[in-house]
Amino acid sequence: MSLEQQISEALKQSFAPSHLDVINESHLHAGHDGDDGSGESHWKVVIVSDQFSGLTRIAKHRAVHAALGKDILNRIHALSLDIQSDA
Amino acid sequence: MSAQDQIKEIVTTNDVVLFMKGTKTMPQCGFSSRVAGVLNFMGVEYSDINVLADDEIRQGIKDYSDWPTIPQLYVKGEFVGGCDIITEMTLSGELDTMLEENGVAFDKEAADKIREANA
Repeated sequence: MSLEQQISEALKQSFAPSHLDVINESHLHAGHDGDDGSGESHWKVVIVSDQFSGLTRIAKHRAVHAALGKDILNRIHALSLDIQSDA
Repeated sequence: MSAQDQIKEIVTTNDVVLFMKGTKTMPQCGFSSRVAGVLNFMGVEYSDINVLADDEIRQGIKDYSDWPTIPQLYVKGEFVGGCDIITEMTLSGELDTMLEENGVAFDKEAADKIREANA
C-alpha cells in the first residue's frame, strides 16, 4: 500500500469523513529542506467529518496526528491540515 | 539543564516565542517563514528560537507540546499552534483576540491588511 493510501485509510477508519483529499505536495519542495528524495515528504490533507464538531483547532489537529500514528508521522516531513466539521 | 527545562524556561520568561527553522529575519522553511512573516508584519515583539541550531531543542519542542511539526508559537507559556492554525487564526481574527486577551501589542491595521489581501 502506498503512503498516500496508508494516510487515506487511517483517516477514513478514524473519522468516516464526508470529504477527504490526500495531496502529495512533495514536488513543490524538491531540493528544499526536508526533501529526502522519496517523493513522499510533503503532504496536504483536506478532511471534513462531523467527528470534529466542537473540538478546538489544536484538538482537531491532535486527533488527526493520533489517527495517523507515529509510524506515518515519522516518515513524512511536512503535513498541512485543513480540518472542517460538517455537523 | 535538560532540553525540557530549557524550553519551559524559554516559554515562561518570554511573552511570545516562535520555535522555527531559521530566524525571523532569515527563515529556512516555508512554514516557519509564513508564521514569522505574519508576526513581523503585525509588529508583534517575539523571541525566535532556531531549532536548526540545536538538535535537542528541535526534538525537545516536539515532545514538550506533543506536536510533531515546526513552527510552534507560544504565548504566555501556552502553545497556540503551528502554521495551519496560526494562518487560520490570523484570517479569522482569532489571533487578534488572543493577543489582546494576553496583553500583547500588535498593529491592528496591519492585521486587517493581511485579511483584506486574503479575502
